[in-house]
Amino acid sequence: MNFKLPKLKIGGIEVKVPLIQGGMSVGISLSRLASAVANEGCIGVIGAAGIGMLEPDFSTNFKEANKRALRKEIRKARENTDGIIGVNIMVGLSDFCDLVMVAFEEGADLIFLGAGLPLELPISLPAEKLKEVLSKIIPIVSSARAAKIIFQYWARHYNQIPQGVVVEGPLAGGHLGFKKEQINDPDYALEKLVPEVVSILKPFEQQYNQSIPVIAAGGIYSGTDIYKFIKLGAHGVQIATRFVTTYECDASEIFKEAYINCKKKDIIIIDSPLGLPGRAIRNKFLNDVIEGIKKPFSCPWKCLKPCDFRKVPYCIALALTNAKIGNLKDGFVFVGANAYLSDKITSVKELIDNLIKEYKRAECTKTI
Amino acid sequence: MNREEIYGKLKELMVDKLGVDEDKIKENSHIIDDLGADSLDVVEFAMGIEDEFNVPKIPQDDIEQLTTVNSILDYIEDKTK
Ligand SMILES: Cc1cc2nc3c(=O)[nH]c(=O)nc-3n(C[C@H](O)[C@H](O)[C@H](O)COP(=O)(O)O)c2cc1C
Repeated sequence: MNFKLPKLKIGGIEVKVPLIQGGMSVGISLSRLASAVANEGCIGVIGAAGIGMLEPDFSTNFKEANKRALRKEIRKARENTDGIIGVNIMVGLSDFCDLVMVAFEEGADLIFLGAGLPLELPISLPAEKLKEVLSKIIPIVSSARAAKIIFQYWARHYNQIPQGVVVEGPLAGGHLGFKKEQINDPDYALEKLVPEVVSILKPFEQQYNQSIPVIAAGGIYSGTDIYKFIKLGAHGVQIATRFVTTYECDASEIFKEAYINCKKKDIIIIDSPLGLPGRAIRNKFLNDVIEGIKKPFSCPWKCLKPCDFRKVPYCIALALTNAKIGNLKDGFVFVGANAYLSDKITSVKELIDNLIKEYKRAECTKTI
Repeated sequence: MNREEIYGKLKELMVDKLGVDEDKIKENSHIIDDLGADSLDVVEFAMGIEDEFNVPKIPQDDIEQLTTVNSILDYIEDKTK
């Protein structure tokens, strides 16, 4: 018998393995992880938020530092792979449009936009160029309604729709597009969201005579999980947490160790300064914040539009950068809900080979 | 259309798109804080305004500013002059 993984076609690109490595900021998925993933026939994604934090001129020149660092990472990734490279950018970043333009200019294959509604690019571009930039953009949504509104807005204003969409459920890592009380509500489970998004996009597929791949994300851990979501109508999956415990992941060893050592009970939901819930590993830093202890900081740049830096108890960009470099005293680690299952560091190749093997086994035995 | 007429039509649209009771709507109501709209409602509502009043594309930055019934009335008045 011959088991084949379904191919993913997204934005005119054919992907051998229908797997996207989710973009991880700050500095967790950069060129090293993204190119290793791309070399296995999947899509590797660079996380752009706060990417310039480790540039020497960040505090005086943060927009230029971000642009420069993103440019550098995309070029480095290209040197290391002929595969597919994407960039993940949060809509709530005050320089989100600048970063989209850098990703476009540097020839990123796809641009994933989340943590906000990607309705428009606040920049004036000639119509043809705008069409071209939009054709790279894949929105990340957490509900069928958000998908529908984005597609409606694009259809009426650009006469064009996104080439695909990532649906991120409540078990994902980092910021979550849900209210706290929805996170454990079965009505919002990814297993429900995926078929809802598939069906809400059907009329757009017909109207534009194009297929819209739906990518499932959030809590997907094994090849059996991948099989389950493909059966539910997804065309591919996005996985992030599992890629943290690889040699190639761009985070420090301490960050990776935090994943390996954490228990289920250590994984908590926090209120992020971005105004969204987030999933993280509990540590002293977060305990302090929960107890109301503030971590003073000055904010010369205001990187997030919704962040009121005079009111929030700490700077999230700084806390996540500290975590990336292994200083957990002054930061904390974002994780997906299943991070506690990881028990060792592997190579990206080993991880992907295993996922494919598990997928094929699930298909063979039709276990869901 | 004068402001009165705009207000009348706007109320109908709010009942339809935001699912609020007509008598809850006041000129100084805040559509998120007082009328319970979320960020998705607001975008849907803006598209409804484009259709209903035949105004050109409302940019995302403007959508985020149009938070009170008053500011929406001003906006529509201005765009339909
Ligand atoms: C450490 C970490 C950082 C993340 N950063 C981002 C980000 O900057 N932008 C974004 O859209 N998603 C971000 N995510 C979400 C992932 O891209 C992905 O969609 C999600 O975590 C998938 O769930 P999984 O981790 O259970 O596989 C992050 C996730 C983690 C674990």
